[in-house]
Amino acid sequence: MNKSDAKKPSRFSNALYAVRSYFSVQANVLIVVFAILLIVLTVYPLYSVFRSAFTVGKMEAMRYNTLMHTKLSDGDLTLLNFRMLLTDEFKFWRPLWNSLRMSAYASLIAILLGGTFAFLITRTDIRYKKFFSSVFIFPYIMPSWTLALVWKNVFANSHVGTGIVGMLESLTGVCVPGWAVYGIFPCSLVMGIHYAPFAYILIGGTLRNMDANLEEAATILQASRGRILRKITVPIVMPALFSTVLLVFSSTMASYAVPVFVGSPGNFFVLSTQLSQLYNTMATRGQSYVMTIVLILFGVMLLGINTWFTGKRKSFTTVTGKSGQVSYIKLGRANTLIAIILVIVLFLIAIFPIISFALESMVEVQGNYSTLTLKYWLSREDVGGFAVNAGHGILFNGMIWSAMWGSIKLSLIVSLIVGTCGILIGYAVARKRGTKLAGLVSGLAFFPYLVPSMAFGAIFLAVSSRLTFLRGTLLLLVIVGSIKYLPFASRSGTNSMMQLSGEIEEAAVIVGASWPKRMLRVLFPIQKSSFISGYLLPFISCMRELSLFVLLTTDGMLITKLLSYFDEKAVSQMSNGINLLIVIIVLLVNFTINKLTGASIDKGVGGN
Amino acid sequence: MPKITLTNVTKQWGKFIGVNDLNLEIEDGAFVTLLGSSGCGKTTTLRMIAGLETPTKGEIRFDDRIMFSSEKNINIPPAKREVGFLFQNYALWPHMTVTQNIAFGLETLKWKKADISARVAEMLKTMRIEQFAERYPAELSGGQQQRVAIARTLAPKPRVLFMDEPLSNLDAKLRGEMRTELKRLHKDTGSTFVYVTHDQLEAMTLSSRICMMNEGVLQQYAPPLEVYNRPANLFVADFVGNPSMNIVDARAVKTGPRTAEIEFLGRRAAFQANEDFELPSDKVSLGIRPEFLPISQDGDMEGMAYSTLPAGMETTVKIKVGDTILSSVVFGAIDYETDAKIRFGISGSGILIFDQETGGRLASGRVVFQ
Repeated sequence: MNKSDAKKPSRFSNALYAVRSYFSVQANVLIVVFAILLIVLTVYPLYSVFRSAFTVGKMEAMRYNTLMHTKLSDGDLTLLNFRMLLTDEFKFWRPLWNSLRMSAYASLIAILLGGTFAFLITRTDIRYKKFFSSVFIFPYIMPSWTLALVWKNVFANSHVGTGIVGMLESLTGVCVPGWAVYGIFPCSLVMGIHYAPFAYILIGGTLRNMDANLEEAATILQASRGRILRKITVPIVMPALFSTVLLVFSSTMASYAVPVFVGSPGNFFVLSTQLSQLYNTMATRGQSYVMTIVLILFGVMLLGINTWFTGKRKSFTTVTGKSGQVSYIKLGRANTLIAIILVIVLFLIAIFPIISFALESMVEVQGNYSTLTLKYWLSREDVGGFAVNAGHGILFNGMIWSAMWGSIKLSLIVSLIVGTCGILIGYAVARKRGTKLAGLVSGLAFFPYLVPSMAFGAIFLAVSSRLTFLRGTLLLLVIVGSIKYLPFASRSGTNSMMQLSGEIEEAAVIVGASWPKRMLRVLFPIQKSSFISGYLLPFISCMRELSLFVLLTTDGMLITKLLSYFDEKAVSQMSNGINLLIVIIVLLVNFTINKLTGASIDKGVGGN
Repeated sequence: MPKITLTNVTKQWGKFIGVNDLNLEIEDGAFVTLLGSSGCGKTTTLRMIAGLETPTKGEIRFDDRIMFSSEKNINIPPAKREVGFLFQNYALWPHMTVTQNIAFGLETLKWKKADISARVAEMLKTMRIEQFAERYPAELSGGQQQRVAIARTLAPKPRVLFMDEPLSNLDAKLRGEMRTELKRLHKDTGSTFVYVTHDQLEAMTLSSRICMMNEGVLQQYAPPLEVYNRPANLFVADFVGNPSMNIVDARAVKTGPRTAEIEFLGRRAAFQANEDFELPSDKVSLGIRPEFLPISQDGDMEGMAYSTLPAGMETTVKIKVGDTILSSVVFGAIDYETDAKIRFGISGSGILIFDQETGGRLASGRVVFQ
């Protein structure tokens, strides 16, 4: 005892001890590891985008040299990429205007649909709530282009675009005008419907969490229903409404698949489709990175507004308390009517697409339902005709199955990585809450959300052009997918970890349970369903993802890529059939996991 | 059972000092309460002793074994300190049954299966919760959860039991019952209990010693009755006791080694101390417990009944003298008409004089009117 008293530790051993004791806490290890990992995985790609935007490649240099009489050579620093793009009305300003309009309309539609639905479900005595609620989520679970494809299937007609005959024309002879088939109208509508469930989840969550006393207090003061709605309910839901608008807006801005399916054929271009075009031309590749920066800036700006806004009015969103018995608005005789309208709407946006895909995959001549055939499913011969290498019918098509397996494999790996990282980040952030490092990690983990999928793909293409061993590999897709889907997983992981008081874990620390044991036996089981949702969401997102991977893969690698290949080649039976398969798989996985564990997609997004 | 020694323990978060240079010795088998208002550092102190929080400076020993030392770079993890911790919100694991909750710690300690079930059964019996063995925490009432939490904490036979406001989530009646049982449990187990509370009544009734803290600084560490009768300073005097002590500004001039002349509430009187004392200045505060202000017709002082609060067994009478409102507690139920004239006296030898500047106690004694 006295011996150790006499010998004081040196400064070095003090420092060593400090480091060792810091890293003896698992949360510290995790937070440091993730901070480093995320910095590398976000800063390096970002650096390569900026580098690519400010330099010229060989082809670009040649082009600029002829056009602008410059003397650039491969790899030179220049602002020309910016100048060229930002002064081009058709490549930049029109698409920008289109993007902004489309996003604004889509947000409006999402809010109106989702908000009304949320109100009906949480505040009225509408019938069949459970059924409606679960079906309403369908459009969000299904890939966003699903509805775009349906739109095409129904409204395409002989007067527009490629002249494919859609369902409407073939059944009734009515041809809708061109603007209704391709362009801003279908783009906004489809995006709006796709994100309406998102609005429902966010707004409905707030409405459900809202202390019923708030409204009851107004009732006691003899305020009318309408006045309560106007003066109490809507203002309280306002932050959620605003968040929804911003999230839908930025998601729509970044979306690629929908404008490709129902925009581009009508010469309606937005930033993301323009980005892909710029990228695919060697001589304008540098400009595509400028476009990427523009899209990132929009994302940062929108999220900034969102944080600023919700931060300012946080007091609203954190209204908790026991939501007692809410007195539902009695719809009375309107109940049946509204229920019927809902059934019709839900049928159109959730059930009809599936029927439509099945039908379209089984007609020989598009739009002609007298030519029903199972050839495109069952044939063991090439079904593509001369133009395309389509292979056998879907069920016996090696290309399709290997692409399907590729997608499933990718989605599984990505969801395992993302889900686990989400939980660990959540744990580390929750335990280290309030520290700078925790702020950094949760900020960086959310960063990928700001980068549009398309741009994200482009970034990693740039990365893989430097790290060539990654090019075209599954590993690259796994990395890209894992980073891209981290935001929601880390957010839901953080939320559920924050809900667990530190004492729950400390109670296990005291009795000597090791860290893995605490995680596996105490923390995970308690928040099981929300953690599993954290695995489910990336799986589903990855399974239906196109824009993120479109630049990074060859045609046969992923099922979504193959789908877009068949769509491009106008073998619509095959693209519809594949779409049906994807939708069914996604819905089945969601349903099975939901039934088995109680986890669900809406929990992953942050609803209840 | 160990003796716990804290030497110069400090906890800092950036510039904020949570606990400042705390020295404390907790005797083997003691029942020590850390008492103070929220944010005074009492919970932090408890968590540092348990090892859940790391002190910035200082040393913590259990007997001769160093548990933490900033100088020698020692920090024994909580699990190796063989302590039990009862959390304010119980921290029962919601996905485990009562039995599983209790058995978890024993499994971690690698007890034999048979021993575990025997110990669990024993704990269920001690805490009288046998019938809830297979229930989940959510299916239990607050009081039952509390028992489960205690059973879970005691199961591994900890050498020391730490409790962080364990009764604050219970209703008043249940809290009373659990107090009785905790005191009983302390006797039965013979363990050292360290208990955090902001409830002075709990501290008074349960503990063998109270450690009174304010803003991270130890105010007084003494047995409850000493804290009550001879509070170290104005803060302690005001915090302990309900209704709280009457504190009245006064002027004092020494007239002998143990005597002084005091002037307060417009009256003059002699103060006869129980021991020799010094007066740093003539500005002092007079501290008088409500029970030392008996109401009687021949009392030396006069005031008005400001408000009367009969509680059945005793009555608190608020008496207005000038601009000052004094509390007096009288046995039995009386009701004075508001604004009625009241005569009262100052009795006993427990009247305290505090230094107004430092707040420190200068003397205790009696007040005599000439």
